[in-house]
Amino acid sequence: MSTQKLKEIIKQVLPDVETVICWQEGFDKLNVTPIFITSPEQVDQVVWNPLCAQNLAGYLPSQKKKVAVAVKGCDSRTIVQYMQEGLIDRDNVVIIGIPCKGIVSKKKVQKAIGNEPVEDVTFTDGSIKVKTPSGEKTLSLADVCPTKCTSCQFPTPIVYDQLTADAIKSDKPAESVYADVVELEGKTLEERKAYFASQFDKCIRCYACRNACPMCVCQDSCIAETRDPHWITQKNSLDEKVMFHMIHALHLAGRCVECGECERVCPMEIPVAKLKKKINKEMKDLFDYTPGVNPEDKPPMYTFNVDEAKIKEHKL
Amino acid sequence: MRVGVFICHCGSNIAGTVDVAKVAEEARKMPGVAYATDYMYTCSEPGQKEITDAIERDKLDRVVVAACSPRMHENTFRRTIMKAGLNRYFFEQANIREHVSWIGLDKELNTTKAIEEVRMAVAKVMKNKPLFSSSFKINKRVLVIGGGVAGMQAAIDCADGGLEVVMVEKSPSIGGMMARLDKTFPTVDCSICILGPKMVDVAQHDLIKLHAYSEIAEIKGYVGNYQVKIRKKPTYVDWTKCTGCGLCMEKCPTKNAYDHFNFGAAPTRAINIPFPQAIPKKATIDPNYCRQFVKGKCGVCAKVCPTGAINYEMQDEFITEEVGAIITATGYGLMDVEKLTEYGGGRYPDVISGIQYERFLNASGPTSGHIIRPSDHEEPKTIVFVSCAGSRDKSCGVPYCSNFCCMYIAKQAILTKDHIPDSQSYVFYMDIRSPGKGYDEFTRRAQEEYGAKYIRGRVSRIYPKGKKMVVKGADTLLGTQVEIEADLVVLATAVVSAPDAGQMAEKLHISYDTFGFYVESHPKLRPVETNTSGVYLAGCCQGPKDIPASVGQGSAAAAKVLSLFSKDMLESDPAIAQVNTNNCVGCLKCLKTCPFQAIVEDTLRSGKKVAKVIETVCAGCGVCTSTCPCGAIQLQHFTDNQLLAEVNAICQK
Repeated sequence: MSTQKLKEIIKQVLPDVETVICWQEGFDKLNVTPIFITSPEQVDQVVWNPLCAQNLAGYLPSQKKKVAVAVKGCDSRTIVQYMQEGLIDRDNVVIIGIPCKGIVSKKKVQKAIGNEPVEDVTFTDGSIKVKTPSGEKTLSLADVCPTKCTSCQFPTPIVYDQLTADAIKSDKPAESVYADVVELEGKTLEERKAYFASQFDKCIRCYACRNACPMCVCQDSCIAETRDPHWITQKNSLDEKVMFHMIHALHLAGRCVECGECERVCPMEIPVAKLKKKINKEMKDLFDYTPGVNPEDKPPMYTFNVDEAKIKEHKL
Repeated sequence: MRVGVFICHCGSNIAGTVDVAKVAEEARKMPGVAYATDYMYTCSEPGQKEITDAIERDKLDRVVVAACSPRMHENTFRRTIMKAGLNRYFFEQANIREHVSWIGLDKELNTTKAIEEVRMAVAKVMKNKPLFSSSFKINKRVLVIGGGVAGMQAAIDCADGGLEVVMVEKSPSIGGMMARLDKTFPTVDCSICILGPKMVDVAQHDLIKLHAYSEIAEIKGYVGNYQVKIRKKPTYVDWTKCTGCGLCMEKCPTKNAYDHFNFGAAPTRAINIPFPQAIPKKATIDPNYCRQFVKGKCGVCAKVCPTGAINYEMQDEFITEEVGAIITATGYGLMDVEKLTEYGGGRYPDVISGIQYERFLNASGPTSGHIIRPSDHEEPKTIVFVSCAGSRDKSCGVPYCSNFCCMYIAKQAILTKDHIPDSQSYVFYMDIRSPGKGYDEFTRRAQEEYGAKYIRGRVSRIYPKGKKMVVKGADTLLGTQVEIEADLVVLATAVVSAPDAGQMAEKLHISYDTFGFYVESHPKLRPVETNTSGVYLAGCCQGPKDIPASVGQGSAAAAKVLSLFSKDMLESDPAIAQVNTNNCVGCLKCLKTCPFQAIVEDTLRSGKKVAKVIETVCAGCGVCTSTCPCGAIQLQHFTDNQLLAEVNAICQK
């Protein structure tokens, strides 16, 4: 139903913008890729279903002209953060908001069907039916959703110009957002060290997490690859891998909008977002600041205040 | 690369706890080191010659000196290697004195640490790049903030030296604390009689421009070129018309306004001229009390003013002054008596502060120089002075000595006897601190000639008993408790920093201590300079001090400005941030975090948006470099790679 509405909205806004960024079916039924719509004929290719995982807001800072973009609730936080950091001009973006009840993790589905080729995918309320050469398999959406959906606080976009359906309220408790971080905090230093070592050791330094991150502003100038400054070498050691992930985490301090793109694209299934979530939790405690929720906020790490309004100086 | 390493003994300062010969021996083995030696005093003339000779003989192109803090001798050695033909940034100083020999006793550990310090400095110096200063013009005008005696002295000295001076005073008149005093110790001469001529000098000097009742709103720029935005607060009286006749003050129906000049010793009118010798002698309306503002109707002053100077609609006015140097003479504050609850401060009207008592003594004060008890306006006969009321008391947050209370209490005791010959003064003291010229004789005179009874001990409690105040305390010399029934108690309240000292320091980009006093560049050798070049300190903003010390510091600050302005051009410090436009992604987070507004947005010919550093504004603090996610902005002489070389030098042996 909302797919139809989405298409209508796209047709309506298309004359006013250079491009509309949305999703289309990929090389098979289980894959969805972005589509950059410039003519009305392309609108029929648009899809909206729980496979539309990619955060399309990440394309916005590179756009020179006015564009429209389709965003889920979680993706909209990226736009809010861009507004706070002055990386986009809000007047140059038409936001098509899609209230979303949760998406699916392609990797989880593939695992559940034993990585068989996919012939067809259909959705019924609350479940996904995947047809493979060996038969059909029905999976509950709750079982194959990414972790971020289990604690989603923003099913409806925070900022939008048009909505494709009625707004939905979150039914997840706010505490659930950092439940995994709290659990990790309960472990001993040694346990945590061992955990991160085992995870980051899998890293192949493909930088997919960084490239997919909508908040990474450095792009081709990443200090993981420069010699001046020469912070890390290309050596394939745990130290250098950890250093890379630390750098990415610190560059996102108070900026990570928890869209989960880094984890979604990681070929090694490393919980890349965990460090960033931990820092976000600290930022929340210290500055009472959550990235990407209020366009009027100022990111605390990108302001210079001698006295921070929300922290008692020297009593950290 | 050929690095020369020179290890200084600093007499026994370093050599006493560090095996300097071993440090030199280890240095010789470090990569890049062509020559290493140790010397008794590297900073001495023969020590410096050792360096220049070695540069020539061993063809050194980089120099490391392991000695004291670079704060001491970095410039010495930079000049030394410059004389030998090297760029002065091809020098590093390893601090093996303050960081090593002075803080550890274990010679073996110290030696190991000294070697590591040298290893770091060698690694860093090899990454150093030659840097060059550029020179820029200076604006030879000076801003003096604060019109107390220190600020006035600084302004007069600068103006006499031919500089244009802009003076900003927050209250309606210049004069500061000294204008409130009756007499000054140890000569007991009339305070306003000796201050008055200075105030007139300020007013009459062609080169001094005075902005009274004004505050500093914003300071932009750098040494030699500051733009200072000044907020002229609304006085609600057109000062170009006001003649200072005082008719408005006489007729004003509001008689209960707080008198800031008299520290609330007595109420005043809502429109007032603070004191007869005020400069400028102009009236100011206090909108917190004025009926026209509080109730919306009155207008008496507007009716009586013979020149029609009253203007209730007056607003803030902002002006900008351009100056090249700033003298900060913002003075001090006094601890509120209400904080001293055990002494009944604020609760009992007959427990007053020293400055209030001073106003009672003063002929132009609220009582025209008659000493009274505030409660019943009777003449007190027994007066107890309590020194260190808040001072030297950690529980009050003031562990320091307020410097001049011992002396002014002695003066007030003498004056009390002069005013009321049959009175008896008691002084509770912890120690009598009277180290100035003629000071100790003065405190003795108070006791021996004027009969003030000095009791060594602290007061524990003050409480009322009938019309009297009972002062309970210890006499530690007799080892007994004492109780005195006093008519009036005077508390020598602690000297604290000015109420807005912190915000002012932040506008000036200077540091202040935990008590709000401004920090000088060096406590002994640079007492009027701050670590921000072009900003100097005078008077009590730097710490409690008496009049002669404040005046001396005012003159000293003026001398510093005059010597700064003796040149036409200043050299810029090349150790500032620089943007590598190839790497800059134009996120401009640096622009937002820069505390000096030294970064602006720039567009390259290709259309690429990048950050640009205004060289003369950048103070080299490095906030931008730690903000830049891609390392495109680098602090010269402290680049990531230079610091990483140091880290690697100690982490990878």
